Formats: sequence, structure tokens, C-alpha cells
Amino acid sequence: MTTLPNWTHEQIEARLTDYLEGLLQPEEQRAFDAHVSTCTQCEPLLASVSHLLTGLHSMDEIEPPPRLIYAILDKTLGPRETVTGWRAAFAWLRALANPRVGYGCASVVATFLILVSGSGFSWRKPRLADLKPASIYHNADRQVHLVYARGTKFVSDLRVVYEIQSRLSQDDQQIPSQDRNRTQPAPKSDPGQTDRTNPSSPKQQNRANGIERNLQMLAADLPLFVERRIQ
Amino acid sequence: MRRHTRRIYNICYRFTGNGTDAEDLSQEVFLRVYKTLGSYRSAYGGFATWMTSVTRNLLIDHYRRTKRDRVTDSLDDAMPVVENKASSARRPDELALLGELNSQIQVALTRLSPELREAVILRDLQQLEYGEIQRTLAVPEGTVKSRINRGRIELARILQQMGVGPS
Repeated sequence: MTTLPNWTHEQIEARLTDYLEGLLQPEEQRAFDAHVSTCTQCEPLLASVSHLLTGLHSMDEIEPPPRLIYAILDKTLGPRETVTGWRAAFAWLRALANPRVGYGCASVVATFLILVSGSGFSWRKPRLADLKPASIYHNADRQVHLVYARGTKFVSDLRVVYEIQSRLSQDDQQIPSQDRNRTQPAPKSDPGQTDRTNPSSPKQQNRANGIERNLQMLAADLPLFVERRIQ
Repeated sequence: MRRHTRRIYNICYRFTGNGTDAEDLSQEVFLRVYKTLGSYRSAYGGFATWMTSVTRNLLIDHYRRTKRDRVTDSLDDAMPVVENKASSARRPDELALLGELNSQIQVALTRLSPELREAVILRDLQQLEYGEIQRTLAVPEGTVKSRINRGRIELARILQQMGVGPS
């Protein structure tokens, strides 16, 4: 059985924090406990320090006064400028000196111009009567119908051009077949029929019949053009 | 900014025990940091540690500067009563925030020597590690541990003298 070393008061005081933070070796711990349990001086000291640590660790942080941050900013970055008199009255105008405000105004003006122009307002001959709500409505309605009519006409023109192109290409395909027919007469077949068999589908035959009729109409309307293409 | 302000204000308040002084010193700390920002190096162990070090230096300067005033005060009132001193140094809202024990510990802290006081504040109130305290105070780790240990014992004895102890 080993005997515990006898610690002095000074040793206890010097290792008090290590004891409280659990940093003592097991043998040191036993020696510490042995001394404190029998010492009328060190036992209350240990209790007082433990009580103190409980109090210290329960102390909450104090909230600094709100003015402190502003005081710090004033002290480091300089005091804020105080505006008085007429400058204070028009100080809000400074907020407008901002690119965002400029962009916003420009977009509002552009939108207004587009709407007024779209409603049929004439910038060359401006009249106040054109800005009446009824006039704006009628003009806008007229513009909408005009745009619709122009669109319809454009689509119709496109369709005509496409039909002419398709008929001309059909015509180009028929010319070599006519040459072949002269040397080796083929059995009578409907337009669009590619061989001696029946058309692959009634739909295809109907489409071919339609093209033939249209080609006849086109030849009647544009005889010179068709002749030149055939030559 | 708000986080640093809170931390610096708390260190100053715990060291001085006075809200007005803590505010003034916090402003001084930020002004010093703002002016000497160019001298900051990461070798100091982080910006927060550097700020704490600046705070500590200013607190020691303040302690030395006001030492004469404190001596005069203690001659005027040789045996200050804890409650009277607390009520004269703090506003009522501050007293309401602090518990009775916390209030007495705060009073006891102001009676501790500055070297021990700063060590206890950084360790037990700011919860800093020994390494951070060592870098802040620029002393060896053994000295840091010794100061914390002595500070706690001294503080416990002051509280005993004030009649505050474990029940």
C-alpha cells in the first residue's frame, strides 16, 4: 500500500485550477482530496472558488447601448453632416440623383410613347382630340384590326408563293416523265401514281388530283411563264 | 461590427465596472483599431485576438490614468459599502439586469489587481482558451495559468470579505 504525499497549503492553492478543471493525475487528485478533506483552511477556499466559478459562468453578456455603435461610427468615419435650412427642405431631392430613378423615368416615358403611338396618335399633326379616351379606344381598335388584316394578308401571300413554288417543282418533275412516256408509253395512271399499282393511299391520290387542277388553273393564268418553264 | 462592439464593450464593462467608462473605452478601442489597421498582421492570431489585445492595452492605460482618482475616492470613503458603491456606479436598469451574486462579483472584480482581473475576465467571462489569452496578453502560458489561478483565489477571498460565500 502506497502512502499519499502530504501536500501543503501552497501546493493546494497552486494546483486549485488544475483540480477544478480536472487536469490532475489520479495520484495528485487523491493527495489533493486527502489534504482538503482534513484542512480547515483549504476546504472553505475550495468551496469559495467553486462558488465563484458558478457565479462567473452564470454572468450574462451585457447589451451595449444602441447609441454606442453610432458613436463609434462618428468617431472613426467622422460625424454625420447635419443639413439645415433650405438644403434640409430639398434634401429629399438628393435621393432622386440615382441612376435607377433615371432608368425608371426613361422606361415610363418609352412605355407612354409606345402606347400613344399605338393608339394612332399622329406626332406630325398632333391634335388634342386624339388624346380623348374614346378617340384612343377607336384608334387602338382600328390599329388592332389593321395589324390583323396585314398579318392575314402576309400569311395569304406566303401561302400563294409556296403553292407556286411547289407547282413549279412538280412541273419540273413531270417534264422528264413526259420524255420517258414518248419512248415507252406507260399505262394510263392518275397524277401522283408512281407505278402500275394503285396509289398507296386515297389521300395521296386526292392530293395529286388537286395539284393537277391547280396546275391547269395556273397554266391558264400564267401561260407565258409555264411555256418558258417547259421550254 | 455589432458582434465586436458587444464583445469589446463587455470586456471594458467587466474591467471598469462602469457603463460610461466602458462606452468611452469601447470607442477608443475602435478608433485605435481604425487608425492602426495597417499594422495588423495575421501573425497576431486573428483579428479578434488583435482587437482584444488593443482593448487590454487601453484598459491598462486607463487603469493607470485613473489610479490617482481612485486613491482620492478611497480616502473619502475608506470602507465603501457594497450596495452604495454599486448603486452609485450603475444605472437602475443595469442593476436590474445583474443578479445579486453577479453584482457582487462585478464589484469584487474592480478590487482585483489589473493583471489578475484581465486574466479572469478573459478566461471565465469571455471563455477564451489559454492560447488565445497567451497571445492577447503576450505572456507565457505558465504565467497565464498562474494569473488565472491567483485571480480566482483572490476574487474568492474578496467575496468572502464582502460577506458573500457558499451557503
